[in-house]
Amino acid sequence: MIKASLRGLLQRKLRLSLAVFAIVLSVAFLAGSMVLSDTLSARFTALFTTVNQNVAVVVQPKDPQAVEPARLTEAQLRTLSEVDGVRVVSPDVSVQGATPFRATDGEPVSADAALGFGVDGNDDPLGLVELREGRWPTAENEVAITAHTAELAKVKRGEQLKVYLPVLNEPRSFTVVGVAGYSGGRDSLAGEVVVMFQQAFAQRTFYGETGRFGGASFAAEPGVSDIELKQRIEQRLPAGFKALTAEESSEDRAALSGGVIIDVFKYILVGFAVVAGIVGIFLIFNTFNIIVAQRTRELALLRALGAGWGQVAGSVLLEALVVGVVGATLGLAAGVGVAAAAEQYLMGEVPLPPVDLVVAPLTVLLSYLLGVVVTLVAAFVPAVRASSVPPVAAMRDVVRPDKSLKALSIVGAVFALLGIGLVALGAFADLGGTAFLILLFGALLLFVGTLLLSPLLARPIVRGLGALIGRGSAGDLGVRNAARNPRRTAVTAAAIIIGVTVIGMTATVVQSFKTSLEDIMGENIGVEVMIQAAVTAAPDGRQGFNPKALDQVRAIPGVKEAAAWHFDALGVSVAGQPQAFGVFATDVGQAARMFPFDATGGEIRTLAAQELVLDGNTAETLKLKAGDRTPVVIGGVTRDYTVVGVYQATPIIQGILVGEPAIADFPGPLAFQGFVSLNDGVDAAPVVEKIETIMKDYPGVQVGDRQSYVDQATASYDFLLIAVQILLLVALVIALLGILNTLVLSIVERTRELGLVRAVGLSRGGLVWMITVESVLITVFGVFLGLALGVGLGAAFTKALMTLEFASVIAIPWLELAQYLLAAVVAGVLAAVIPARMAARLNVLDAISYE
Amino acid sequence: MTSPVTERPAAGAGAAARATDLWKVYGSGEAQVIALRGVNVELERGRFTAIMGPSGSGKSTLMHCMAGLDSATRGQLAIGDTALNGLGDAGLTRLRREKVGFIFQQFNLLPTLTAEENILLPLAIAGRKPDPGWFRTVVDTVGLGDRLGHRPNQLSGGQQQRVACARALVARPEVIFADEPTGNLDSRSGAEILGFLRRSVTEHGQTIVMVTHDANAASYAGRVIFLADGQIVDELTEPTADAVLDRIKRLDVVSTGAPE
Repeated sequence: MIKASLRGLLQRKLRLSLAVFAIVLSVAFLAGSMVLSDTLSARFTALFTTVNQNVAVVVQPKDPQAVEPARLTEAQLRTLSEVDGVRVVSPDVSVQGATPFRATDGEPVSADAALGFGVDGNDDPLGLVELREGRWPTAENEVAITAHTAELAKVKRGEQLKVYLPVLNEPRSFTVVGVAGYSGGRDSLAGEVVVMFQQAFAQRTFYGETGRFGGASFAAEPGVSDIELKQRIEQRLPAGFKALTAEESSEDRAALSGGVIIDVFKYILVGFAVVAGIVGIFLIFNTFNIIVAQRTRELALLRALGAGWGQVAGSVLLEALVVGVVGATLGLAAGVGVAAAAEQYLMGEVPLPPVDLVVAPLTVLLSYLLGVVVTLVAAFVPAVRASSVPPVAAMRDVVRPDKSLKALSIVGAVFALLGIGLVALGAFADLGGTAFLILLFGALLLFVGTLLLSPLLARPIVRGLGALIGRGSAGDLGVRNAARNPRRTAVTAAAIIIGVTVIGMTATVVQSFKTSLEDIMGENIGVEVMIQAAVTAAPDGRQGFNPKALDQVRAIPGVKEAAAWHFDALGVSVAGQPQAFGVFATDVGQAARMFPFDATGGEIRTLAAQELVLDGNTAETLKLKAGDRTPVVIGGVTRDYTVVGVYQATPIIQGILVGEPAIADFPGPLAFQGFVSLNDGVDAAPVVEKIETIMKDYPGVQVGDRQSYVDQATASYDFLLIAVQILLLVALVIALLGILNTLVLSIVERTRELGLVRAVGLSRGGLVWMITVESVLITVFGVFLGLALGVGLGAAFTKALMTLEFASVIAIPWLELAQYLLAAVVAGVLAAVIPARMAARLNVLDAISYE
Repeated sequence: MTSPVTERPAAGAGAAARATDLWKVYGSGEAQVIALRGVNVELERGRFTAIMGPSGSGKSTLMHCMAGLDSATRGQLAIGDTALNGLGDAGLTRLRREKVGFIFQQFNLLPTLTAEENILLPLAIAGRKPDPGWFRTVVDTVGLGDRLGHRPNQLSGGQQQRVACARALVARPEVIFADEPTGNLDSRSGAEILGFLRRSVTEHGQTIVMVTHDANAASYAGRVIFLADGQIVDELTEPTADAVLDRIKRLDVVSTGAPE
C-alpha cells in the first residue's frame, strides 16, 4: 500500500511540485526570519564581545533610561577598584548623540551611533583604544577623535571641530589634538563616531558636576573568574547599580542595539510566512482534491482488491506528508539563502565582525512542523473524499456529483451576516476603543463568510465579468469553463481573495487618512512651515531643538508667529492612567490661533503652571471634565493639575496639552516640533531655507512646508502599505501557481473537449485565448471579491477612526485599486501561458480519442 | 464481385475527397506497423460511403488521414479541390472549419453548452451566421425540436448523438466523417441516427463517409468499401445487410483474422 502511494507520487510530480513550491515559500519566510534574527543577534553579540575584551565585570546603572540615572562618586569608584581580584578599572563618562559636524559643509555627520566620552589623559587601561597621533585632550576646548570620525567629519589633527553637545543642547567648537584607533588597527568597531573630551569637562557637561561616573569596567587578576569577581563587586555595589559579567553585558547591549531592526524584519517575514502558509493550504487542498478525483478508478481498484478505507485515506495523507517534508527541506534551504541576502542588505555597510549564519535547532524544528502541518491539514478533506470512493467505481463510471453548495452557503451567509452586523456596529456606534475589537472580529467573520460563499458567487460573478472580456466563441467557451466548476474556481481564487482583501483594506484606510490630513491642512490652518525632530528621537525632550532658536526664526522677514511644541511620552500618567501618547507642552493660546480647534467645555487659553486642556475622547476615557483637578505625573514628578478646557479633537491636534511652565518637569528641555505661520502673500520656500540654516545645529531636525508635514505624518502608513503590497505580491505568486495548477489539471480532464473544438475548427490561437480567458476570469473574480470586501472593511475602519477624530473623510484609492486589478490580470495571463501551450500542442486526433 | 476492386484512375474534379497511393506507417524498425499500403480511393459527392473491415484493417486510419486529422506517410490527399499535403495547422484548421464535419463514437459534446449551442459551435467558431431555415430543417430532421435548451448530461445517448449529427450537418460541409457513430448506441437509437444520415444524403445531397464494423449500419450506405491489412479489398454498391455480412465472412476467411 505504501509502495503504491509512493509510486503514484512520482507519477504526479509535476502537479505535486506546485504544492511543494507553496510549502517552500511559506517555510522559506519562516526559516529566513529566524535565521536572520539569530544571525544578527550573533553579530551584535560578537561586536560587544569585542568592546568588552579584557573586561571581566561591568558596573552600570540599573535603569540607564531614567530621567536622572544613578552616578558613581569618586569614592564609590575607589571602593570598587579596591575589591580583591580587580586588576584595572576603566571608569565610564559617556553620552549618546555627541554628533560632530563636517568641517567642509557644516552638516552633521550621519552615523548610527555618535558617542561622547570623557578621558583622563592616560592610555586606555583595558588596551581597547590606542592613541595613533597627537595626545589625549587636557583642556576644555580640546578633543581626540577616532580615525573613522576624522574621516567622516573631514577633519585633521590641529583643526577645529564643531560638536553637538546633547545635554547642553547646543554645538561647540573644539581643537582636535589627537586621533585614536582600536587595537588591531581598526578605525571603528561598527561604523560609530566617537569624540573624546577632557574628563572633567565631560563630567560637568554630561552629568552636571565633576567627580561623577556613569559606571565602570573592571579587569580581573589572573586566576579570578568573571563570575567570582562579579560576586565580590556586588557586595560593595552602591544603590541603583548592577554588576554584569562581560558576557552578560555583551548580550544585553546586543539586544538593545539590534533589537528593533531585527524585530521589524522578523515580524514582516513571519507575516509573509503566515500568509504564504494559509494561501498554500488552499493550493494544496485543490491539488489533492483534483488528484483524488482523477484517481477515482485507481483508488476504487485498490478498494476492490481489498484495501480498507483507512488505507486509502492513509495513502493520500502519506503523499501529503512526503510533499510537506520535501517542501520544508527545500524551504529551509531557501530560507537560509533569504537570510543571507537580507543580512547582506541590512549589514553590508556596517563593519560588524562577520559571523556564520546561525541555523538554530528550533528553526529546523519549526520549519518542518509548518511544512508538515500545512500539507496534512490541506490534504485531510481530499483524503476523506478518497476513502469514500466505492469499489464499484473500478468497473464503471460512478457519477459522484459535487456536493450541493447549499450547506456551505448557508454557513457562509450566517458568518457573513454576523460579520456585517458587527462591522456596522463597530463603524457606526460610538463605542470608543472597543469599536476596533468588534470591527476586527466582525471583519474576520465576514471574511470567512465570504470565502465560504465564494463558490456560490463564482458563477454569477464570472459570467458577469465574462460578458465584458469573453469576446468571440473561444472567449465564450473560456467563460463557461471558468463558471463550470464554481467550487474549484472559488478555491483557486481564494489566495487572491485573501491577499487583495488585506491590501484593499489597508489602501483604503491609508488613503482616507492622507486625504483627511490634506483636507485639514488645506482648510484653515495658519501654519506654513513645520520643524520636526527626527522620527527616531526619544520623545522626552532630550532630542530636538532648543526653543530659543525660534527667536531667530521670528526675526526672519515675513514670519508672523513661531510656536514650539514640547513632547514627553516617557512615564507620563494622568488621573492614575499611563498615557502612551504622552503630553504636549506649548503656548495653548497661540496654538488656538494657529490651528483650528474649538472648546467643547471650559476655555482654551494660554495655560499657567499645573493647568491642562484635553480632547473630548481622552476626557471621556479619563472621566474628566472642565474644572476637575487630577494628579499628573511628568518626569517622575506628581502634581495636581486643573482641567481648564476640553476641545474637539482634529486629525492634527489631540491628546493632553499643558502649558510652558510644565516643560521644567520634562526630562529634557528641547522642543519636539515647531510651527511657523507667515504673513499673507509670503512665499514659504525661502523661509524654509532660512529656518533650515538655523536648525542645522540640531542633528536630525527636519524643516519643511505643509506638504512635507503631511508626507511625514503619513510616512509610517506608506511603509505599512508597501509591506502589505509585498505581501500581496507573495499571495499573487502563490495564487498564480494555484491557477496554473488548476488549469493544467483541467486541461488533462478536458482533453477530449479540447480535441473536439479543434476538430470543429478552433485554431491554436483560439484555444490559447480560451484558456487565457478562463485564467484571467478566475483571477479577476478573486480581485473583485477581495476589493469589494477590502474596500468595504477599509471604509468601516475609517468610519470608526472618524468617530475618534483620527480621520475626517473616507477616500477610496481608485488609482491603487486599478493597479491591483491590472496586476491580477497580468498574473492571470501569466498563469495561462504554460497550460495554454500544453493545450495548443495537443494533437487533435490523440485528444479526440483520449480515454 | 468476389475479386478485389481494381485501382481507379486519378480522381476527377467531382470527388468530395480522395486519396492517391496513401501509405501510413507507424513506428520504425522492429516496431514498425504498416496501417495503410498504397490505398487509392475516391469518394463521390452526394454519396453515403461506408468503410468496413476487421479490427486493425486500417479503416479508422484511412478516415483520419482523409479528414486531415492524421498525416500521411506517403501519397496524395485532397478534400474537394484542396490538397491536404503540406497544409500547416492553420490551413488544416481552416479546412476543418469550412469543408469538414465530424461525428464521433463518443458523441463529444461540450458539457458547458446547450444542445443548440453545441449544434451551432462550428459556425460560432468560424464566425459564420447560421441560416435559420437550414438550422430548422436540420433540427427537424434529427428530431430535437423540444430538446434544444438541454445540456448534454440531460440527454440520452441517442439524443446526444443526434445533437452531434446536427452539429455536423448544420455547417453544410463538403464531407462529413463519421467514426462508428452507432458504436455506443442501442440498436433502435442507432437505426434512427443512420436514418438521418441516409436522408441527409438522399434529400440534401450531403456527402458522408462512415467507418463501421456493423454490417447492418453499412447497409444504410450507398457504397461500401472493404479494407483488410491496409488495402482496399472489395466494394459493394447499394448493398443489403445480408450482402455485407456475406462479404465480411468471406473476408475474415481470406485474411485469416478472427471474426469480430
